[in-house]
Amino acid sequence: MTPVTVAVASGKGGTGKTLVATNLAAHVARTGLRVTLADCDVEAPNAHLFFDVRAAVAPVEMPVPEIVGACPARCTACRDACRFGAIRILGGRPVVLPDLCHGCGACTQVCPSGALHERQVAVGSVGVGRAPDGMRLVTGQLHVGQSKAPAVIRATREHALSEVSDVVLLDAAPGAACTAVAAVHGTDFLLLVTEPTPFGLHDLTAMVDLAGELRLRAGVVLNRVGTGEVDIGAYCRTAGVPLLASLPFDRDVAACYADGRLLIDGHPAGDRWFADLWSTLCDHLATSSAGVPA
Amino acid sequence: MRTLVVASGKGGTGKTTMTAVLVHVAAPSRPLAVADCDVEGSNLPLALSVDVVSRTAFAGRPRAVVDEEVCAGCGVCLDRCRFGALSLSDDGLAVIDPWLCESCGACTWGCPLDAISFEPQQAGEVLVGEGPAGPMVFGLLRPGEDLSGKLVTSVRERVAALADERGVGLVIVDGPPGVGCPTIASITGADGVLAVSEPTLSGEHDLRRLVSLAHQLGVPVKVVLNKADLSETGAQRIRSACSSLGVELVGELDFDTDLPRALGAVARGTRPPSSLDSSSFVHSVRAIWPRVDPERADWALPDDGSG
Ligand code: SF4
Ligand code: SF4
Repeated sequence: MTPVTVAVASGKGGTGKTLVATNLAAHVARTGLRVTLADCDVEAPNAHLFFDVRAAVAPVEMPVPEIVGACPARCTACRDACRFGAIRILGGRPVVLPDLCHGCGACTQVCPSGALHERQVAVGSVGVGRAPDGMRLVTGQLHVGQSKAPAVIRATREHALSEVSDVVLLDAAPGAACTAVAAVHGTDFLLLVTEPTPFGLHDLTAMVDLAGELRLRAGVVLNRVGTGEVDIGAYCRTAGVPLLASLPFDRDVAACYADGRLLIDGHPAGDRWFADLWSTLCDHLATSSAGVPA
Repeated sequence: MRTLVVASGKGGTGKTTMTAVLVHVAAPSRPLAVADCDVEGSNLPLALSVDVVSRTAFAGRPRAVVDEEVCAGCGVCLDRCRFGALSLSDDGLAVIDPWLCESCGACTWGCPLDAISFEPQQAGEVLVGEGPAGPMVFGLLRPGEDLSGKLVTSVRERVAALADERGVGLVIVDGPPGVGCPTIASITGADGVLAVSEPTLSGEHDLRRLVSLAHQLGVPVKVVLNKADLSETGAQRIRSACSSLGVELVGELDFDTDLPRALGAVARGTRPPSSLDSSSFVHSVRAIWPRVDPERADWALPDDGSG
């Protein structure tokens, strides 16, 4: 059975995306469903800080060409094929600039002499482990100094979707660029986490547009209620996106987060908040093709 | 010209608010230019009042398209695409999912009929605005685009050119969150990074990654701890991280929920800029500014040059 996939995203960081993803995942796992949480925020993966997980870590590799043989005189086929400028001709010979390479393989395809060979370069890692309550955690991490976040996100997603689960939650990178798209593309539902500030509204609008372009069903979780007075509910009504939950901000929330504790364990109201969010989310999933996980 | 980048390993630490306050604190004494390199979520123009005076299209990678008149549905291209962007439609023709396509062109070399070609497309815009503090440049990226690093570079080139033209000695940059390509593009060649951190376990992890990236790029880092009063254990964590990383913690600021509102009011012109001076946050930033100001303060990499 294919799992129900729910992505958690936000137009900017720090709105509580990871807080929502981790608590929701742990809550659903405790209801007895098989849950996989995929941390696709590979530039700042933090979900693992909230779980006691020993992960088996595998590298994420990307093929990058290198010149191993002799090139025919004046041949520039590989440079001409590369649309990323990752191959230059210097002193009559091709030179590869690995930082610009996307690993597409166009150059090796067109090389007439077999002088190009692809080697695997590590750009990040994926860790897979199981938390005490049975939830699986898949963490993607970009190596510092690497710019190939989408490749690491794709690998993280693939690992997560290959686990046997009823529900896969994906914690996406903040923003509306390719890194967010790589995580949320094709999921059954998109949870958009925001806060009641002008920045929060501005960034939420961009995410709702993105959801529209990607044809994804979306709902909003308003976090940090009390830290601003922008009426997100009014925006949701005009934009036609459901407001699924409102989570307050208080010192207990801040303290739990600071210490890496889940709200459903450390906050008196935490369990109820996420039980409510999950049941509201299930109501919305029930009316979609994804159906309610059981 | 000196460039200071305000950055954070992730968003939500108060980076944009910090940038806006730094601009407020630094501006009266000398001309400066400002750039918002958080091109996926440009919030600085909301925090400072800016009138946009020019917009330039930012060209994206040409988009791969299948000519339906020519495609015979042989499927050769499907195997060439490493990004899973190509499939055969119900009527047996090749289709490209624009959200997965990286515009690499690998498919074009396989197609025996030359049915796949490239069309130019726009990926965003570079905007120049004028604010009370001086010129401001920012970028707007179309949703889903993968050229944020390149757009950041365009924004930085534009702001450097403007600063040059007007004899401005200081550029303050609001950097993007994370440690990926837009951050690399924002930090490269800057004089210093002011890392805005927060007293959480995640905050410490993100800070360590940011410092390690900046040091790899040869750019020194100083840290300001925001929302310090939210957790003493968390604050302690950041203090020890700074000393083990060999970076200076220039100050600790308390959580100020009113400030974004006050900045907004100033930006809209409903309150005078001087009204900000009553905020204790602004007061503290003024106190640390001499240790951060890249034209006056001492910015150096730690001795061993590593993070
Ligand atoms: S694999 Fe693709 S991106 Fe890399 S060098 Fe070859 S053509 Fe360029
Ligand atoms: S241009 Fe590259 S990514 Fe796009 S469909 Fe062709 S092979 Fe795939």
